[in-house]
Amino acid sequence: MKHTPIHAARPNRPVTEIEFCAWVAQALPGDRLEYHRGFLVLDTFPVFSSLEAKAREALRKLADRTFHVAEQGLVHLVQERVGPDCFAYIAVARPKPKSASISLSELLLEGEAA
Amino acid sequence: MQIKLSPQHIQTILSEAQAAAKRLHRRLGPASPGQEDLCQDLLIDLLRRLPAFDPKRGSLGAFSGLVLRNQSSRIAMRTMKERRAQGGTMLSLDAPLSQVDPRPMSEVLSNQDGLGAWQGQCVDARLVTEHSIDTGRALGRLSPRDRAICAGLAHSSVATLSRRGFGSRSSLYRRISNLRFALALHGLGPAWDETGRA
Repeated sequence: MKHTPIHAARPNRPVTEIEFCAWVAQALPGDRLEYHRGFLVLDTFPVFSSLEAKAREALRKLADRTFHVAEQGLVHLVQERVGPDCFAYIAVARPKPKSASISLSELLLEGEAA
Repeated sequence: MQIKLSPQHIQTILSEAQAAAKRLHRRLGPASPGQEDLCQDLLIDLLRRLPAFDPKRGSLGAFSGLVLRNQSSRIAMRTMKERRAQGGTMLSLDAPLSQVDPRPMSEVLSNQDGLGAWQGQCVDARLVTEHSIDTGRALGRLSPRDRAICAGLAHSSVATLSRRGFGSRSSLYRRISNLRFALALHGLGPAWDETGRA
């Protein structure tokens, strides 16, 4: 029986919001991406975080985006404990929902008619 | 030095400028700016330098000729430099390639050599088809709300959409900003490069 290989990615620098979306677009069901390692709720909190403001804001946006993408049914979000107060935050790709394609010219005509 | 220009002086300046523009236009070839544009450039430079004219040293005609000749050289050198930077002079698509090959260039150039390709457009038919399929698939997966704004933006500005009841301008700009992520989620955006993340 042939098994599709599952790819697990652990980037060595912070994942941005757009990179996360790009990963979801090409991920096959079961592929994993560790999008953060640490303690997310503290890492995004100004008083407790060791990150600079810009990095903290980018992390907060990433966290919101992953949650939004999970709500759309495109990923599962799981955590794995790697040490005291340290977790690996992992997105696991789900099968993409089936939907009919929409022709661009149809869409443009709809917009013109509206 | 202030000089008073008589009608005769003005006539001299204008005729010298027109003659110089005609010579320059002929020298630069058909791809050059129009003769009138060149005349205007030459005239402006001449008028700017008129305070330096000394009637004791020569006539206004001679002075104008010298100034116009120098400015014509400067314009010609600038034009040639621009053409070299662009990779050469312009050629007619209808002109034959050579004496050996009488076919016009338009019959020999492929889509890959055309202006579209130079501007970064995709001219590969297979890639264009794939992109069209990807676009259709991504549009099908967008929420109806996002699809509506895509359709609206294809024909109207944000201000117009706001007036038509799509929401305030700030909310529309927020939705457009989010659209980038929505499209990237469905394959219309930057590609994930695993090697780049390593």
